[in-house]
Amino acid sequence: MISKLKFYIFTLIILFIFSCSSDEVTEVNTSMSKSSNVAPGLMQGEKDYSKPAENIFRINFSDPPTFDPHLVTDTTSASIIVEIFSGLVTLNKKLEIVPDLAESWNVSDDGKTYTFTLRDGIKFSNGDEVTAEDFKWSIERAANPDTGSYNADVYLGDIIGIKEVIESSGAVKEVSGVTVIDKKTLEIKIDAPKTYFLAKLTYPTAFVLSKKYVESQGEDWIDSPVGTGPFILQEYQIGQILKLKRNDLYWSEKSKVDGVVMNLAGGVSMAMYENDEIDITGVGLADLERVKDPNDPLSKDLVDVPPQFTISYIGFNVNTPPFDDLNFRKALTHAVDKELIAEKIYSGLTKLANTIIPPGFPGYSPSVQGLKFDAELAKRYLAESKYSDPSSRPRIIMTIPGTGGSPGLDTEVISDMWKETLGVEVEIQQVEWATYLQDMNRKRLQVWAGSGWQADYPDPQDFIDVLFHSESDVNHGNYINPAVDKLILEARTEIDENRRFLLYNEAEQKVVDDAAILPLWFDTDGYALVKPWVKGYEFTSIIVPKYKDLYIE
Amino acid sequence: MLNYILRRIFWMPILLLLVSLIVFFLGVYGPGDPVEVQLGNNFDEQSANRIREKMGLNDPFFIQWANYIGNALTGDFRESYVFKNRSVSELLLPKLIVSAKLNLISFGIALAVGIPLGFYAAINYGNPKDPLVVIFALIFYAMPVFFTAPFLILIFALQLDLVPVSGWGGIFDKRIILPALTIGIPGAAVFVRLIRSSMIEVLDTDYIKLARAKGVSENMVLWKHAFRNALLPVVTIMGFSLAGLFGGSLIVELLFGIPGIGRISLDSVYSRDYPVIMAIVLIGSSALVIANLIIDFVYTLIDPRIGME
Amino acid sequence: MMNNNPKNLSSTKLFLLNFSRKKLGVICLILVSAIYLIGIFAPLLAPYDYSETNLLKTQSGPDLENLLGTDRLGRDILSRVIWGIQTTVIVTITGLLTGSLFLGLFLGLLAGYYRGIFDFVVMRTGELVSSFPDILLIILLAATLRPRITNIFYSIEDNLNISGLVSSGIIDYLVIGIALLPLSWFGTMRLIRAQVFSIRNVDYVQSARTSGASTFRIVTRHVLPNVIAPLIVTATFGLGAVALSEVILSFFGLGVQPPRPSLGAMLADVSGRGGSSVSVLTSHPEQLLSPIIIIWIMIFCWNIIGDALTDILNPRKN
Repeated sequence: MISKLKFYIFTLIILFIFSCSSDEVTEVNTSMSKSSNVAPGLMQGEKDYSKPAENIFRINFSDPPTFDPHLVTDTTSASIIVEIFSGLVTLNKKLEIVPDLAESWNVSDDGKTYTFTLRDGIKFSNGDEVTAEDFKWSIERAANPDTGSYNADVYLGDIIGIKEVIESSGAVKEVSGVTVIDKKTLEIKIDAPKTYFLAKLTYPTAFVLSKKYVESQGEDWIDSPVGTGPFILQEYQIGQILKLKRNDLYWSEKSKVDGVVMNLAGGVSMAMYENDEIDITGVGLADLERVKDPNDPLSKDLVDVPPQFTISYIGFNVNTPPFDDLNFRKALTHAVDKELIAEKIYSGLTKLANTIIPPGFPGYSPSVQGLKFDAELAKRYLAESKYSDPSSRPRIIMTIPGTGGSPGLDTEVISDMWKETLGVEVEIQQVEWATYLQDMNRKRLQVWAGSGWQADYPDPQDFIDVLFHSESDVNHGNYINPAVDKLILEARTEIDENRRFLLYNEAEQKVVDDAAILPLWFDTDGYALVKPWVKGYEFTSIIVPKYKDLYIE
Repeated sequence: MLNYILRRIFWMPILLLLVSLIVFFLGVYGPGDPVEVQLGNNFDEQSANRIREKMGLNDPFFIQWANYIGNALTGDFRESYVFKNRSVSELLLPKLIVSAKLNLISFGIALAVGIPLGFYAAINYGNPKDPLVVIFALIFYAMPVFFTAPFLILIFALQLDLVPVSGWGGIFDKRIILPALTIGIPGAAVFVRLIRSSMIEVLDTDYIKLARAKGVSENMVLWKHAFRNALLPVVTIMGFSLAGLFGGSLIVELLFGIPGIGRISLDSVYSRDYPVIMAIVLIGSSALVIANLIIDFVYTLIDPRIGME
Repeated sequence: MMNNNPKNLSSTKLFLLNFSRKKLGVICLILVSAIYLIGIFAPLLAPYDYSETNLLKTQSGPDLENLLGTDRLGRDILSRVIWGIQTTVIVTITGLLTGSLFLGLFLGLLAGYYRGIFDFVVMRTGELVSSFPDILLIILLAATLRPRITNIFYSIEDNLNISGLVSSGIIDYLVIGIALLPLSWFGTMRLIRAQVFSIRNVDYVQSARTSGASTFRIVTRHVLPNVIAPLIVTATFGLGAVALSEVILSFFGLGVQPPRPSLGAMLADVSGRGGSSVSVLTSHPEQLLSPIIIIWIMIFCWNIIGDALTDILNPRKN
């Protein structure tokens, strides 16, 4: 299974509806479909709050479903877990794989054996030494079905012997591919030379836990977790507050702030920011106009958030009529005036997409040409398609996830554009989230909107291979093009990066020409407000530790 | 009487069993699957099945149900599917307390405003003050919460700058005022109507007429005789309100950002977090059933004339 | 509390006369009728189609072209309100017919008349249903029911080779109707049952029975006329509640599906489910207030009418 991406949903319920507050800054970009919390003109409220008295960073957040790195499946948990735990390697803010607890590593000539050397003197936050044994034990724990990990096979599945543990229902505990050479040296064997294996190790599922601590504490260990990240969990009250404090035993440069306080109780984020209750907030569509006004005092705090590497699109099931007809798909694609939608509905917040790999992402190439808006061309393609006659056209049902957020504003406009330009009528079916997911996984949907892909780590394979290889589990539209498959297979084993990227671009061009999906947006160009006393806060497009480098002035 | 109460007490566990059975049925046979929601894009049938197997989701319906009930009887409501390794009780208790606090304050507001106004309307029965009060009460009663909430925020938080906008800080925090008003105002309207009609009815009885004829002072008539009797229907509503204490006011909690039970209810339905759904339904149902029982009981205490069915 | 003196309904004229004395009741009845008529004649009255977007004119305030302005997608708010009212009209009427009238009245009559095991079963079922936390049950039912019902309808359409069944919105009404059903019938049923109990032993019913009248005749001739008054009153109050429930369901995306408008879905559009609608209230109040005022008027009026009817039909207060 190749998919290593995080499935990314604009209307992810847990994050959005359940915390009207949760304009977590990590999610700031997704605010396009979540109409954000809004309280214009609210300011000079109570002045009990102001610049924090202590050296503490304050933020709105929502309850993390888990602190256990091996169990994490959601971004909320992951963004806290990366602050508390860490692993062999990590991503830096430029999205490069860099050493973390491992000082260095060697890859054998056949590309199948990785030998990691751990740093000297690295310690867990309780003072215990981190050894190679802890890593081996952690990997085995993550794989053990008793742990209940949902994605051990996704992130660790390449390791030899891991499948046996996962499928053994507890009988097999040892992963044969992981060997402790000595206290500081760990050897991991994988089943095939896979360039992306290291990237998988940056995910929390591969993080290290203290064998001694977890075994001695039993299930309660998670209430006061011990890790190797820049912070320690100081206090957690469900639905109220979460406090992180600096881990003084962190191996690298220690955090500049004493701690981070996360408000979990909800509240209108924007208003809390203006009240100086929190130091950072996302800006929703409804507030954007106001804070962009240079006369507004808030405009000075406005920060451009770099786009997340995401593409949202309308998916077509190319097995079912009328989407089995290339001309029909092209007609629909050419009929959507994304520029108009972006400007009028999203106030220019969003960047329209005609291709698949987002700009700025490794492997992005401006030479890939998308299908642009062209009403005349759209009509011509429709006339050429075998469904040009409305009576021969089967019913079209566009499914959108319906609860937990406004149904994407764009869906209704797009269906109206199809109707106006082409006379193609679409029924919109809004289904509740769990049902949507189930139908999508079963590849039962005919045409769907409201979801997108977000990269977990920087490689174009994340987009092209995962979404469009004919055997990929997440190729929900049953798109099959042998030429694309061939290019993807070639890219998988290609070692030269430039050549590899070119292969992906070639595949991307074919996919776009086939109108396999209708690309809509490369996510939003989000905005956030950051208090002037907060320095060194960097927005990142992926989940990496980010509180340790900021400081309060 | 005793017989009746006993019958009701005997019926209660059966009722709860049936409630749990229905919810379980909806869960097992309805669309959507907790494992898939958790897996997201990492879904593949094989691993999903393995996890389902492990969680006992592949067991026959009745076995799953019986297992659940067995655990619940020993006080074990299992762990949430979403909030991993966290017991449902640990998860729900703080939220229950938040909702209960908010509802209690709202209920207080409703009573404090509603009863005097209802009383006032009743003693003015027949002159223009009465319909005026009633109409005002109804206007507030009919005011949709979708309007009340933003309107209150606009006036009290933005224009007058008296209270923070939203969030939660417990009973003694200013932030409770607006949501409590949002719930309390329509509640007050209910009590106005209730007290009013009940007072009017009581004042019309022979018993009060007799007291008046006897020359008992009007104050005495109103307060001692009429008002006490008029409170009777209030007891009923009060019982139900108290039962609803632990049921969050979903929309108010959403609009004001309050970490109560309402939000997690909706959340659990969407993510198919069955242990949480089950616990919430069972808590809610028990509260309702017990409240009913108490209302019946109190009724017979206050007014022995009322027989039981 | 509800007295059923047949004299009160013996003359429709008297009833009308009494009602016409309730000025506010009359005003409300006119208002509600007007709203319902607007809903029924929505296709004729709405100036634009409810799904017609106009991106060149979004979020515009009221003007001559769009009397209530346009929403974020440039759709005419007035038209959407009018079509939204139609949804409310359909939902309240079907809710009333199925829940209160059919199930409530029917089961109430049977349970009251036959008592015994039938009464026991109906009462226990009612208690069971009413002991669910209501909103949660509605949401759970709507979430799990809809996909099933939708599939059934699609297969019906495919098998019969017809179309338009699903797009007519019938599924939405069915789902909402079924989801609200458990909540709507029990109150009516209990009320009717109690009424039947109380007149069951009244002399003329007794004598009718001894003189060999059929059960059907007794029920329709003697029992039914006596329960109509309380039935009307509860139904009136119930209409407001059903309308509000539809708004809430649609607000959470479980009721009426886009692009078909509903007052609740309109509210969700402007406030964003779970978001705050404060800024809309200041910047584009017409977007929020248009649906809200209709809901407000409807609930207010149904209650005033219900009060008026109670007053008239309850002789103790005359």
